[in-house]
Amino acid sequence: MPTQIVMDHTGDSRTYFDARDVQARANAEARFKKLVARGFTAAVRTKAGEVTRVSAFDPNAEETLFFPRLVGG
Amino acid sequence: MLSLRRPAITGRLLAQSVRRFYERFSAENTRDARGLRLLREWLTPAQWQQFEALGYFEVVGCDTGKRYRIYRGRMTNVYEIDDLGCLREGWCFVPFGFLTAGDVMLAQKIALETSESAALAVANRFLPRRQRAQGDVSWN
Repeated sequence: MPTQIVMDHTGDSRTYFDARDVQARANAEARFKKLVARGFTAAVRTKAGEVTRVSAFDPNAEETLFFPRLVGG
Repeated sequence: MLSLRRPAITGRLLAQSVRRFYERFSAENTRDARGLRLLREWLTPAQWQQFEALGYFEVVGCDTGKRYRIYRGRMTNVYEIDDLGCLREGWCFVPFGFLTAGDVMLAQKIALETSESAALAVANRFLPRRQRAQGDVSWN
């Protein structure tokens, strides 16, 4: 089941959704857009372990990871 | 003579320390444990193996092809390395907010592998610590 993983102060928060459910998919897409608008970076990973940055919602991605915007330390 | 043998001993102790650290946290459901589990899931097998053995893993920047070493920690833990594996320059950048070390290292990895220039644009540079440059790694 596709999962959206958001890094946060608890470690991470995960939201699972059924990609065949129109309403669930719409909610997931809205969540994606909201996080990206807040400066989060979205990334997906292939089965080979390669990581790709994405700018558009992909309902078929098994896992989409979001992390907050980067700042200089 | 003693100083010549020291890096090997330190490396072994470090590897044991990393293993113990991971074993302790992997059984728990704390925020740090979750961060480490997420890191493990997203690192390549080779990167995770390197992290377990040495306390760091290496990534290749997507724009320049340069190699970076990411040490365990939350800040001042990313170093550009040369062809011989020596530390050249430190780059300090972190995701905003109070995240676990595992999350921070994962964000740094993804940033360098997918948007290296943007990550370095916000980073502050620093000189490598002498201990790390000599292979004696301390934990952040």
